[in-house]
Amino acid sequence: MNFLEIIFRPASFDVIVQLAIMVLKVVVVVGVIMLHVTYATYFERKSIGHMQVRLGPMRTGPHGLLQPIADFVKLFFKEDIIPAAADKPIFYMAPVISIFAGMSSLAVIPFFNGFVIANINIGLLFVLAMSSLGAYGIVMAGWSSNSKYSFLGGLRSSAQVISYEIALGLSLVGVMMMAGSLNMTEIVKAQLAYPTGMFLFPQILGFFVFMVAAFAETNRTPFDLPEAESELVAGYFVEYSGMRFALFYVAEYIGMIVMSLIAITCFLGGWDGPFQIPYVPFAWVFIKLYILIFLFYWIRATVPRFRYDHLMSFGWKILIPLALFNVVLTGLLKTLNVI
Amino acid sequence: MRLKKAVKTVFFTEILQGMALTLRSMFSHAVTRQYPKEKRPAMPGFRGMHAFVRDAKTGREKCIACGLCGAVCPSQCIHIYTREDDLEQKKVIDRYEIEALRCVYCGFCVEACPVGAIALTEHYEYSDYSRQALYFDKEKLLDNWDRMMAGKKGEEYFEKFWFPKRDSFRSYDGQAVFRKPKEEAK
Repeated sequence: MNFLEIIFRPASFDVIVQLAIMVLKVVVVVGVIMLHVTYATYFERKSIGHMQVRLGPMRTGPHGLLQPIADFVKLFFKEDIIPAAADKPIFYMAPVISIFAGMSSLAVIPFFNGFVIANINIGLLFVLAMSSLGAYGIVMAGWSSNSKYSFLGGLRSSAQVISYEIALGLSLVGVMMMAGSLNMTEIVKAQLAYPTGMFLFPQILGFFVFMVAAFAETNRTPFDLPEAESELVAGYFVEYSGMRFALFYVAEYIGMIVMSLIAITCFLGGWDGPFQIPYVPFAWVFIKLYILIFLFYWIRATVPRFRYDHLMSFGWKILIPLALFNVVLTGLLKTLNVI
Repeated sequence: MRLKKAVKTVFFTEILQGMALTLRSMFSHAVTRQYPKEKRPAMPGFRGMHAFVRDAKTGREKCIACGLCGAVCPSQCIHIYTREDDLEQKKVIDRYEIEALRCVYCGFCVEACPVGAIALTEHYEYSDYSRQALYFDKEKLLDNWDRMMAGKKGEEYFEKFWFPKRDSFRSYDGQAVFRKPKEEAK
């Protein structure tokens, strides 16, 4: 049996078509998300600039529109400096792990009905696993750089992620209980069957805990202790430069987008909105995504950084009990057939 | 009171107030001035690049080589070399040089000058790649005046801000003077 025969046998032809469709989906999703990441940086600089009564980037292109592209080109061609005392293999691996963890979570997010790269039954679990894997990238970067600043950043990050991971997982338990599934598409469909069209209203507590934990997971202000500029220079990626630095940066923004997308799929009714937008089935996902991303920037421009012990006590003493309470409450309401 | 505080803590009232503030300031007008595109007009009496006043009557510098500017200069960036000219019967300058890189733009030289021979123009964008370009000799300083301050602008400059000290101590008409100025004697 030669190669052509295998390809053109009806059964394997199907497989190849499916594979091609999947690859196409991956290319589309990665392309769209990378474009969003580039312009998320622009959007962040602009919105925070205006909140601080500045203008933000203005020079590169009209209203600074080409700034993210210029930044990318600059970082791409910059010299790649590796500290002599760094642990080389781990130093190389860390940014890749960071970006891999962020990107692979995108595979299970449904952008509209039927459009999901991998429609797996443990979608939510997979996302949680990947988001905790992202912390490894940070810890490894901090450790391998052999610098006290990045080391402290990495340590802080690991402590923070362990604390908030629990709250993040627990806040999603309520959603799982209501949807009765871990499959992301099923979760959205369960929300559509629900009167309000989203789980936000019975799960408002869960949503709050999730959003706070998401801020901590993605190391955004007010939980940006791993990269606290004023004390740790830049935190775990101090020693990184050029393209490797850019990978960390991209990973941070992808993490933000992924967390927003999970919030959208689990609490905000996924691809459904108050009215249908014709021909653009993914419109609502992106509108909600922009609103949540804006929330990230808005909080960053408003709230100052936590003190470290406050951060820990907030995570363990408030957020986790709240999430547990939410689980109990959801179970109670579920048994009483209220929701 | 305790209840009120608890409600405040639970509903993040203060954070929400802060967020309202940032949102409001987002839609306010940015205060940024986009410098090379929008230049801020120099305030009256601005102390910028140095210039040597060219006398409209004689077409030469007004300087009488008294050396007060050099003496008062706190950063000692004015170098004056003088000589006594027998023909003109007065002190004249051989070389007059200002190191603009050392100047602190205090304007003491202008204030000290009894005849209003030196001025600080409103021009401040003259960075250069070489030190030599920022080392002004007499010709360069006179040229600065011609470029920046010639005509009405220069006259106003000395009327409004830096009128020479000599004008404050004008003798009244008919006062006995030790020696009449040369022009009047002719």
